[in-house]
Amino acid sequence: MDRSRRNFCLGAGAAAVGAATLAAAPSDAAPSGTVAGVAAARTGGDPAHRWAMVVDVRKCVGCQACTVACIMENDVPENSFRTIVSTYEVTEQDKAGSYMLPRLCNHCEDPPCIPVCPTGATFQRTDGIVVVDNTVCVGCAYCVQACPYDARFINHNSQTADKCTFCVHRVDAGLLPACVETCVGGARVFGDLKDPASAVSRLVREADPKVLKPEQGTQPRVFYIGLDPRFQGKVDGTPTLWRPSAHTERSHAGKEHA
Amino acid sequence: MMDTQILEVINVTREAAWLPWAVQYFFLIGLSVGGVLLSLPGYAFARDGWRPLGRLALIVALTCGLAAPVALLSDLHQPGRFWHFYVVFRPTSWMWWGSLFIPLYIGALLLYGWACLREELWAHGRIDSRLAGLYRLAALGGGRNDRLIRAAGLLVLAGAALVALYTGVEVAVVKARPLWHTPFLPLQFLTTALAGAAGLVLILNRTVGGADRRVEVRGNRLLAGALAAVMLCGGLWLWLGLSGLDAGHAAALESVAGSEAWRVTAVWAVAATVVPFVIAIGWPAGTGWLTGLIAVHSAWMFRWTVFIGGQTVPKTGAGFYDYALPAGPDGLLGIVGTAGLWLFLLILLTSVLPTPHRPADGRRAPLPPHGTAVPAE
Ligand code: SF4
Ligand code: SF4
Repeated sequence: MDRSRRNFCLGAGAAAVGAATLAAAPSDAAPSGTVAGVAAARTGGDPAHRWAMVVDVRKCVGCQACTVACIMENDVPENSFRTIVSTYEVTEQDKAGSYMLPRLCNHCEDPPCIPVCPTGATFQRTDGIVVVDNTVCVGCAYCVQACPYDARFINHNSQTADKCTFCVHRVDAGLLPACVETCVGGARVFGDLKDPASAVSRLVREADPKVLKPEQGTQPRVFYIGLDPRFQGKVDGTPTLWRPSAHTERSHAGKEHA
Repeated sequence: MMDTQILEVINVTREAAWLPWAVQYFFLIGLSVGGVLLSLPGYAFARDGWRPLGRLALIVALTCGLAAPVALLSDLHQPGRFWHFYVVFRPTSWMWWGSLFIPLYIGALLLYGWACLREELWAHGRIDSRLAGLYRLAALGGGRNDRLIRAAGLLVLAGAALVALYTGVEVAVVKARPLWHTPFLPLQFLTTALAGAAGLVLILNRTVGGADRRVEVRGNRLLAGALAAVMLCGGLWLWLGLSGLDAGHAAALESVAGSEAWRVTAVWAVAATVVPFVIAIGWPAGTGWLTGLIAVHSAWMFRWTVFIGGQTVPKTGAGFYDYALPAGPDGLLGIVGTAGLWLFLLILLTSVLPTPHRPADGRRAPLPPHGTAVPAE
């Protein structure tokens, strides 16, 4: 797997750099968009690629290195998460074990977050990456409601919708997403579905990976190997012992307890 | 099924991204639409017996309709960018359509309100007072004009229908939330809005109105009708969920059935519908305060439960998210602020146009024929 990840770095770099005309801005507060900026057709990305991720949950050790790497890379505000490893304790016939499920935006092929957006701030690049232009977004949070995966949230620094971008700025520079780069167990594999020789293409072909909530018809492009059906949708269990939450501490700036 | 226990150890809490502002918006715009509908017989259909009730309903429509967009704007996290809606074409988004419908509706509402109240403005212009000139100016030199009222009524009815449609469908299309994703939701919004508007009419009758007994009885009858429709929609929704005939409704019910808090809410909602229904039917006179307050409360609660309650159901995580009402603008202050704005508008409107005294038979005092010379000052 490691070898494939490095191959991706070398191979994709040249093709991707410069191809993007519009990179999703990181989550800093940005000035209001111009009329032209709002009205422009939003594309970007290289149609020769279709970026995707395969997560092998059997290899995830639940260390949250990806969670932290993402926060550092994308300047994700405190108590908000673009990716997190949901961790469960499963007790079966008196035997307890752990189950780890890294979650992130699925960069769906048919993403319900896009048609609802009243401003066009959320859009899909031609390489499949779903991004938010936070100079255009009005923060109406309709997309937050429409995403079936709770992948989106309102970033209270920019007061706009935020979510995983597959580290689009890194991908455009020929690098791997920060979470993939840092993954200790090698559980996250990133690559191009349009390249039949890529690791993700091979895994999707051969490992029969599953997606979350397939009945929603979103066609996620984040696949899971070893996905337990009990975790495929809304998990039926005892809610978390610890969820990051700030809403009791902060008033205005702390709307989030993401 | 094997005996399995799943305990969530680490996960993320997604905060409610539609804030209490959204509850206030859907509440106020719903009541406004309900107010328009209740005002139509008295004004657009010129049924004089309905005028006193219609006038109160018109006040509901105007005050709630003018306060609603402020709440909506405040629910945007970037309110200063609201103009972004108007420089794009996004027909797939019901919210985008809403951004077109709201100004249409509010514009039509103002025109309709003016056409309906013109007669009163004109009458005030004939009284010897320092403001008479202003009233005459506001009346644009004319009194009651039923054709104008009817034309404006048609416009505002179209606007109200579009607003009722978009506010309902906007939420109902969200497939990701089974509780919202039901064709009943637009109907439930509309019927609870009608009940809330009738309730507010009953309250206004006792406060800014003339405590008119006939308005109270008629208002209570209308309220009972609206509540019957509310119960019908709710009953059908529940039946579809319980019977398992429809997977979506079953999923919606299942997502909250296990929660004690949701069961309490359900019992509360049923009580807040059945109790005013029974009172309104059994004792329609002298109970307007009570039925009105309960009905308004229940229309608000419905929206609170749909929006804030609905957002506490995680889409992937186990159990429920906690919701604690923040004290600041994203919570209590927003609710109190919108209520204050509404109250201000009510005081303003009823100061400019106090409830006219009516002859005992409820019909209007005869007004001088159109175009009579007006002695003033
Ligand atoms: S996972 Fe959610 S936010 Fe990401 S593309 Fe799919 S619907 Fe949109
Ligand atoms: S919050 Fe989401 S739906 Fe609303 S404008 Fe921003 S990206 Fe679009």
